[in-house]
Amino acid sequence: MAFIEINDVVKQYKGHVALNHVSLSVEKGCIYGLLGPNGAGKTTLIRIINMITRPDSGTVMLDGRPITAEDVAHIGYLPEERGLYKKMKVGEEIVYLARLKGMTKAEATEKMKFWLERFNLTEWRDKKVETLSKGMQQKVQFIATVIHEPKLLIFDEPFSGFDPVNAEQLKREILELQKKGATILFSTHNMESVEEVCEQITLINHSEVVLEGNVADIKQRYKKHLYEITLAGDEELKPCDELYTIEEKRPGATLIRLASGAAIRDVITRLNEQYALNGFRELLPSMHEIFIETVKTSSNNE
Amino acid sequence: MNKLFLIIQREYMALVARKSFIVITLLIPFLFVIIAAIPVLTSELNSSSSSLETVTVIDETGQLSGVIADNESFRFIPLKGEPGKTDAKKFFDQSGDSMSALVVIPANVLDSAKVNIYSKSTANMALIKHVTECLDDTLTSVKIASMGVPNLDKMVKEAQVYVDINSVKLSDDGSESESSTTAAMLLGMALALITYMFVLTYGAMIMNSVIEEKTNRIVEVIVSSCKPFQLMMGKIIGVALVGLTQFLIWAVLISAIVGGLGLSIAGNTMEEIPALISAVQSVNLVSIFSCFVVYFLGGYLLYASLFAGFGSAVDQASDASQFTTPIIIVMIVALYAGIGCMDNPNGTFAMWCSMIPFTSPIVMMVRLPYDVPFWQIAISIVALYTTALGMIWVSSRIYRIGILRYGKKFNFKEILGWIKS
Repeated sequence: MAFIEINDVVKQYKGHVALNHVSLSVEKGCIYGLLGPNGAGKTTLIRIINMITRPDSGTVMLDGRPITAEDVAHIGYLPEERGLYKKMKVGEEIVYLARLKGMTKAEATEKMKFWLERFNLTEWRDKKVETLSKGMQQKVQFIATVIHEPKLLIFDEPFSGFDPVNAEQLKREILELQKKGATILFSTHNMESVEEVCEQITLINHSEVVLEGNVADIKQRYKKHLYEITLAGDEELKPCDELYTIEEKRPGATLIRLASGAAIRDVITRLNEQYALNGFRELLPSMHEIFIETVKTSSNNE
Repeated sequence: MNKLFLIIQREYMALVARKSFIVITLLIPFLFVIIAAIPVLTSELNSSSSSLETVTVIDETGQLSGVIADNESFRFIPLKGEPGKTDAKKFFDQSGDSMSALVVIPANVLDSAKVNIYSKSTANMALIKHVTECLDDTLTSVKIASMGVPNLDKMVKEAQVYVDINSVKLSDDGSESESSTTAAMLLGMALALITYMFVLTYGAMIMNSVIEEKTNRIVEVIVSSCKPFQLMMGKIIGVALVGLTQFLIWAVLISAIVGGLGLSIAGNTMEEIPALISAVQSVNLVSIFSCFVVYFLGGYLLYASLFAGFGSAVDQASDASQFTTPIIIVMIVALYAGIGCMDNPNGTFAMWCSMIPFTSPIVMMVRLPYDVPFWQIAISIVALYTTALGMIWVSSRIYRIGILRYGKKFNFKEILGWIKS
């Protein structure tokens, strides 16, 4: 059964529709990506799940029943616009935010120490937040989001503002949280992270869901039947119209497109007979390509 | 409830730990005492530092030379002079620096009542005062005596009347009690001013705190953990506690400084205090102070929630003036209405101003010492608290939406839409 279920949510602001009959469901324990260009409605949807904004119609169900304020108070939420009290000390701030989430002072203090250690921030514990670098503040905010070990985590653009090294660490932490049983929903337009982390995605464009499903399935669905052929030596691949066409010649490799109706087995057999075949690899579209293609077509249809 | 407490605690600690708070809290009492002490100190310094000065008195009448008596500051050397022939310049040249001033009593002093004081520097105020005091009485009695009417001096004394008004308050049950209008007025005005200053200062503090959270963008994290209403009330209560702490520290520090620095300086005022207290006691202190607490709280809640609500609708403190200006204007109107009510505390204008919730916390304070009918107080308090609760509700609706809206200036009309939504 789905952990979060969003049914037919509509949200209208003065003059424009932010979400137009959006539905999606997130399985328990999965990492779910909410994709879409800027202004598509991702943040609005996240705020609706968080009950910060109310939908005009439609429902949000958590574990099979309508979500309540009590549930929301336990969600770990990292908003897109990060913010901390600049004048508070790092340790105190984390403990305060953890206690607002319902932890006791002792619990919160203990966990705070653990997480600061993990992110190499222990020496900053008694420094004011304003003295930290942007990246460190981001880490502090991340700690404050996950410290109470919520079952549901919502990250709005978690990787923005992180350098590659820290983004890598963040990715590891997110996967670690999933292993511990958390369900994670995050919005992003960083497609690389989607490929590496997400199992399921929903792509929103112009307030509507334009693509939804398992990342692997989607890639299959969008595959262009492209294969990368590497031949031994500097032998050149010739076209063979009933089986494939040459798509692109790259240094050391050639891209071919499978002719419709042709079977991969036949192609491999043919190539094997005629050339010294070194490599044969199916090229699946990257999420980046799918994203751009889908956004373009869905925008053109309007 | 637990969360509300946490928010209050954080708000309180954040404000109290600020450098500006600490500096202002510690500095104001000293400033206050210094300002209060300046007049006392200067006169004190003058009388102690100046050594005995020698003043020559030239009496051209030949009868008044001994009249000006020595005191702790001045020693007088009486000399007889020829009428109209005194040369002040020559006198100074001869005596050099030993003489600081020269008093010349002309022969026709009885008619002209004019006396000249010569000195190298500007005339000393204390000297002028002393000479005048000494001569006034003497010249009056000499003049009376010169009229030749027997016992005229006695008759004149008896004819002088000083009116002493003893104001007596008549209660409904017929009992009489002495009342002091001045004391009552001062007390009422002081309470009104305290309310005014507190609401304005700490209302602005709430507004800044709201704007700060909004610009910090932390507010979205907070409202995902608690209700916006809790956050707003936490602020209002937290800031109120900060204000009370500050007032308490001021009260303690001022009394400590005044007590420690010197009963000598404040001696004069100290003597007057028991008299003031007994005068104030005639107006019912207990009822005035309990009303003060009730009105103060109601007024604070009313204005504080207004500040919080409007604060949430702006992005930066500099944009806030379009909303704060109307609030401040209303408060200033209330203050002036209060001052106006001192002349006629039971007039129609005063009555209405003490009924309208936006002005009543200030105006009623001024009226209270003058025995306002109970039904008026009751209606006014009910109106104040109903409005305050209504304002909290309205503000929490503005707040809920305002804190998450960025990048645009909102006008009153749009905000009205938020309240309805």
